Amino acid sequence: MIGGSVSKWTMSYFAMGIAWLFAAEALMIAGFGYPGADVAAPETLVLVHVVAIGWLSMCICGALLQFVPVLVGKALVSEAGALPVLGLLTAGLIALLLGFLALGGRLPPWLWLLPVGTTLLVAGFGLFAANIVMTMWRARPLAAAARFVLVGLAALGATAALGTSFAWALAGYGGSGLNAVLDAGIPLHAIAGLGGWLTLTAMGVSYRLLAMFMMSPDVDIRRSRTTLLVGAATLGLAVAGGLAAIAMRAGLDLVFVLTAVCGVATAALYGRDVVDLYRKRKRRTLELNTSMAVYALTSLAASVVLGLALAVRGSFAADIGAFVFLLGFGWLSGLVLAKLYKIVAFLTWLETYGPVMGRVPTPRVQDLVVEPRATKWFAAYFASVWLATALLFAGQAPAFRVAAFGMMVATAGIVQELLRTRMLADVTTNARLPQGAKLPRLLHS
Amino acid sequence: MTPDVAQIRDALRVVIDPELGVNIVDLGFIYDIAVAEGDVRITMTATNKGCPASGFLKEGVARSASQVDGVRSVDVVMTFEPTWDPSMISADARASLGFASVH
Repeated sequence: MIGGSVSKWTMSYFAMGIAWLFAAEALMIAGFGYPGADVAAPETLVLVHVVAIGWLSMCICGALLQFVPVLVGKALVSEAGALPVLGLLTAGLIALLLGFLALGGRLPPWLWLLPVGTTLLVAGFGLFAANIVMTMWRARPLAAAARFVLVGLAALGATAALGTSFAWALAGYGGSGLNAVLDAGIPLHAIAGLGGWLTLTAMGVSYRLLAMFMMSPDVDIRRSRTTLLVGAATLGLAVAGGLAAIAMRAGLDLVFVLTAVCGVATAALYGRDVVDLYRKRKRRTLELNTSMAVYALTSLAASVVLGLALAVRGSFAADIGAFVFLLGFGWLSGLVLAKLYKIVAFLTWLETYGPVMGRVPTPRVQDLVVEPRATKWFAAYFASVWLATALLFAGQAPAFRVAAFGMMVATAGIVQELLRTRMLADVTTNARLPQGAKLPRLLHS
Repeated sequence: MTPDVAQIRDALRVVIDPELGVNIVDLGFIYDIAVAEGDVRITMTATNKGCPASGFLKEGVARSASQVDGVRSVDVVMTFEPTWDPSMISADARASLGFASVH
């Protein structure tokens, strides 16, 4: 395959993801969920799933629909599946959130909404994963980045399976087995989702995107394979080891210690690989997406250091909310926002100027954006996230809401830049729409 | 009038790599141009096989070459052998891109 097509619905996934990010920030400003409520309270579950599924998973799925063909050099098995998946994920998430609200007594006790929600989510993620896996199957042998995505999808499967068992147990349809998993297995679900699906996939995609955008040589295959093996071992240890410990009615402490050791090793190996990418880049001047990725990577490193410090101090369980917040908003959301800034500009360029290239002069991708203006919003975003993390550690719930407001303002600024890019608002009038070029549609391609 | 290779090469400069913002001739994407009568055969590459930009680059090359006077047909062959690398970029383009020295 030479030159894949522009994914029709990737922009719709991004738009939906951003809508959920605003929803999450609004909830935090309103004091809904942690730290106003307990970390395991239904309100916190609402917040966590809005971020993990609505914002992060939606954007990562949208990006993979466009990016997997680039990774493997084969067209997707099914382009048509993207829209039904978007619908299933959205409907499933809404049902799940309503189920959590019912669990917390904010709605009548319609706990059947929980299994309905997870069934829809499993259908959506299952269709999505089948599409990606079948595409990769046709493209063997796989590049290193694609293998990360595969392991990420395996982690998504584990996350969904655990989440489904919780939903059935909470709705009262689980036997003693599912109830035992519910009692002790929530950390396994969180590790598989946050550490496996979201983090390993983001790591794999970042290898390729960073190499492409900085013109760095790809990471040595043996090195990235080691990183992936340790990452996969972390995941296997957490999920399989954790479930075995639950089945044997043993404590999970040993599993968590081993998972933490392997998790830190994975982060360290990934850090070594990424430093190499930056060090060996041919393009000395960093674009905004790669310079802001540094802040996301710094957040990942800070999360690891904080996690270790909390474990040594013996307060990991007490401060787990702040730890997860930094991972979710500093590392994952920071990286996704930085890459959205580039991907939206690139796809918009392809849609607008690709069809007329060769006939008339065309602007560059960088002519669609104004980086100095966007830099301020990104700086405000990361500063707000780091401040909010510090306030969570300090137990300052009211001040945390102010920092969350800062995050929302910064996010709105970044989104405004994305909209301007999409509308070609910053392209000079002469170059904006040459003969034959059409303004792209805002929400799909 | 039969076009020559230099005319075709000049015409291709309207096609840019959108990411680097430099024309594909100076980037070293054009491996070969053969002209026989009015029939043109261009062998080219791109940075990434599966990227949607690669398809647009190929089409852009065909379009721009076909606009040269005397061109009767254009055949564009995309190849990834040898693999493109930054050492193929012209010295001037490298300097304008602020590239590190290529080893």
